[in-house]
Amino acid sequence: MPDYGHDLIFGSFIIPANAAPHEVVALAQESEAAGLDLATFQDHPYQSAFLDTWTLLSYVAARTERIRLSGNVINLPLRPPAVLARAAASLDLLSGGRFELGLGAGGFWDAIEAMGGRRLTPGQAVDALGEAIDIIRGIWDAGERSRFRVDGTYYRVEGAKRGPAPAHDIGIWLGAYKPKMLRLTGAKADGWLPSLPYIQSLDEIAEANATIDAAAVEAGREPAAIRRLFNVTGRFGQGGDRFLDGPPEQWAEQLAALTLEYGFSGYILMADDAATIRTFGEQVAPGVRELVARERAARVSGAGR
Amino acid sequence: MSVEHGHPLRFGVLLTPRDGERAGALAERARMSEELGYDLVSFRDVPGGLDPWTLLSWAAARTARVRLTTHARAHGAGADHPAVTARAAASLDLLTDGRVELVLDGADGTLSETVDVIRGVWAAAERSPLRFDGEHHRLTGAERGPAPAHNLPLWITATTGGAQALRVAGRKADGVLLVPATGDAPLAPDPGGVLLAPDPGGVPAGPGTGDGLARAAALIDEAATAAGRDPREIRRAARITGRFTPESEGFLTGPPRRWADDLLPLIRDHGLSTFILATDDPGTLRRFAVEVVPALRAARGEVAERTPASLFVRRHRREGIDYDAVPAALAGTAIEPGDAGFARVRSTYMRGGSPGLVLRPGTPEEVGQAVRFARTQPVKLSVRSGGHGISGRSTNHGGIVIDLSRLHAIEILDKAARRVRVEPGARWSDVAAALAPHGWALSSGDYGGVGVGGLATAGGIGWLVRQHGLTIDRLRAVDLVLADGTRVRADETEHAELFWGVRGAGANFGIVTSFEFEVDEVGDVGFAQLVLDVTDTAGFLERWGAAMEAAPRDLTSSVIIGRPSPGRPLIGQIMAVVNSGDARTIIDRLQPIAATAPLLDHSIQVQPYASVMHVPHRPHDGQGEPVTRAALADHLTPELAAAAGRLIGTGLTYFFQVRAVGGVASDVPPDATAYAGRSANFSLVAFGSSRRGLDAAWDELLPHFNGTYINFETDLRPERVHDAYPGPTLRRLRALKRRYDPDNVFRDNFNITPSDP
Repeated sequence: MPDYGHDLIFGSFIIPANAAPHEVVALAQESEAAGLDLATFQDHPYQSAFLDTWTLLSYVAARTERIRLSGNVINLPLRPPAVLARAAASLDLLSGGRFELGLGAGGFWDAIEAMGGRRLTPGQAVDALGEAIDIIRGIWDAGERSRFRVDGTYYRVEGAKRGPAPAHDIGIWLGAYKPKMLRLTGAKADGWLPSLPYIQSLDEIAEANATIDAAAVEAGREPAAIRRLFNVTGRFGQGGDRFLDGPPEQWAEQLAALTLEYGFSGYILMADDAATIRTFGEQVAPGVRELVARERAARVSGAGR
Repeated sequence: MSVEHGHPLRFGVLLTPRDGERAGALAERARMSEELGYDLVSFRDVPGGLDPWTLLSWAAARTARVRLTTHARAHGAGADHPAVTARAAASLDLLTDGRVELVLDGADGTLSETVDVIRGVWAAAERSPLRFDGEHHRLTGAERGPAPAHNLPLWITATTGGAQALRVAGRKADGVLLVPATGDAPLAPDPGGVLLAPDPGGVPAGPGTGDGLARAAALIDEAATAAGRDPREIRRAARITGRFTPESEGFLTGPPRRWADDLLPLIRDHGLSTFILATDDPGTLRRFAVEVVPALRAARGEVAERTPASLFVRRHRREGIDYDAVPAALAGTAIEPGDAGFARVRSTYMRGGSPGLVLRPGTPEEVGQAVRFARTQPVKLSVRSGGHGISGRSTNHGGIVIDLSRLHAIEILDKAARRVRVEPGARWSDVAAALAPHGWALSSGDYGGVGVGGLATAGGIGWLVRQHGLTIDRLRAVDLVLADGTRVRADETEHAELFWGVRGAGANFGIVTSFEFEVDEVGDVGFAQLVLDVTDTAGFLERWGAAMEAAPRDLTSSVIIGRPSPGRPLIGQIMAVVNSGDARTIIDRLQPIAATAPLLDHSIQVQPYASVMHVPHRPHDGQGEPVTRAALADHLTPELAAAAGRLIGTGLTYFFQVRAVGGVASDVPPDATAYAGRSANFSLVAFGSSRRGLDAAWDELLPHFNGTYINFETDLRPERVHDAYPGPTLRRLRALKRRYDPDNVFRDNFNITPSDP
């Protein structure tokens, strides 16, 4: 494969600092004004310097018109899946289908436990995430008449009323790196959402894609059913030969190559100032779109020859 | 029997998501409730319906005034962790500037523990992590905070028979919400679309419930008293339902007068002060707001008493402050040690504090009231704008702080004259951002997080100083609150001598509530950071100093040198701004200073001045006291450079900085303002950890200096006042002090005493 052929989306990754809540909201609005498709916030409920991500997402959704929103990624261990499912569907309904569910298994177990959460091993946490995805989809399945029961190893649901159903098919995107989590992504998720600082090499991306693809096929799914998104960092400047360190045109070339060679179709920039967000939305995004469209068209006509 | 708890009457609505209803319609009803004048909006949690917390957060963003409350998700598999609930509520409170109230259901035994955990998370002023080892909740050291924006009321729901919940409320809650005994049982719409409570025995549901209410009140009061609380601390609310009918048919069923007649005894005899009307019928919502609420308010009349401060707040009060005498206009926004926001206002950027009272006036008139109140209290008085003061002791221990952060307006007065008005609580980052769209800038300090007030009354040595002068040099007029609380305007003609003193020694004469500046046209600038090997420290300082004195005025730069570490080259950092967007000019200006020592790394960016100054808001959490010394010098002579090199070599300073001044700042005569150090080409500061050590070492350097810049100096010895204000300047300042502040109310920062000490 890679290049799974998805349309391209561009987003921002905004630190949800509670020191100046209105600046955080303003950056999300800046993202919308800059033409970005998505604004996202990390979720570390044990972090006292942050706003509660769920509250912030709901508030920002009401203060924006067009842009889509997601946690990046929502911390499952401190957000019970049945509650989360209802809240996600509610936000999707209120916002007219603008919510996506980036979800993570949790990693900072000392902090999770300190908050009163349950400590799991990394392996258990992946299993728990698998159960949680089933519960979330079960709650969303409001058309199903039967009361909802799950008797899992990690979560129990005892005859809950299902619903509400979200306004659109909310994408469940997983922050995954290790094979077990990547296989879960291929089997059950709608998106893969790793972060550049945790990725060691391009080979690692290729291997991860292969793992996801194989798991998808095994589960009877198309590999293209899983969108690949990437949280990236970088800076705009005079430039050098490093990744995402240079003028916007250089960023566009580098990201277009990632789409065409490694299958990413979403780029979310970690940025906390309006100028960077604007450059990304107004200069980089159209550049990548143009380069990718041109190359995809060439490949199609090349294949048809 | 009459019961008066001193709480204002409040009216709220409880809205219910309905099957098949458009999600936005419910938020729309919330907005309509606000327009009708309701004080509170809440949402009912219906299984399979919209999530109440999401809905509340959404509605919060679409309303401006109404308070918002919802039940925490606190039960069974659908329960949130209480620490997460606490952060969510505090977050929404911060986003809405204090419009949130939280309701906890009292149905099971976890209630008391849940209250403790939530309050523990909100107690951000506590330095220790939150540990809680309860039967239901266990936390093993969670971070505390954020504190909500205001003392976020925690309500507990109870039926009049719910003794356990009522007792917990009496001990720990801010309010009790009395609900019908069947709680959230399904409500049946009647043919008119009005929702009726199915339980006639609920509360309040008709004559005869008086006994139940009295018993409930007794339980609450008894538990409160046993816990040392004043029972009036606990607000009493009831959820009500009813129907407007032409004829009086029963309790809350009849014309508006019947409703008022039914509710008034609950207010007068049972101390209820909040009513939550459960209805989604627009007609009922409107009729209650328009015809019942005014009648009840009129019947009750003005409440003379003030709500008593809670036991928690009273326990944290400090001696020497008459808290009950705080002027009413200031009481609502003042923050005491027991208040939610205390952690955010106690300390400053570099200094830990624990004041007894932080007054936060929102108008010049309120600043006057704050000064008049503070001067009657036998405790320290500190004044704070942005809270970056190094010398300015803008916090204290046990005293009063007048915090000006709510006075932060920035407005253009005259476009042609480039005249702008700035209030003291604005930060320079905000000023730069507000001026940028006009192609303007005002030379301020070199860090955007600094507040306007403290800098614009002392000097202001910033990135454009050599081309545009000190910040005070661009000042044209001020509005000032004097020590007796009166307000004056000072400029070159009116109170001209005071205007002279404000520019360099302003903190001694009053609180400036408004600054008028003439700003400059500034476009993109070149911002450079150079990293150099300054192991040859003296040689480097001498060369950099010479290069700066020779440089065109569009270049301003500063040098920072850290503490040496053995076996490694000593690193120096030059930061420089070239007031030009032209790459060639920028490189031309930078080359001479880049050549002053071996260059290890560099970055140069062309960006708006506002980007150089951009600093996000961050909470101040300084601890202890900063140890600094500061001075002005005309030249970095070989002798001074060598002495500075020796000082750095001792390791007594971990941050040694020299800023270039001179240029336009030196064109101004030394007696034109109270800032006298006009001949200086350089401003120096050293940060250390040992007061005694740094003082001893720095005092050796004194012969090389010519005055000091007060904003970086923390030495409290009286000689420093003479360094900053040489003889003629000091004589004029003392005369001013005798005239404008004879009782020396403003003595917190570089005090000029009314007479020679």
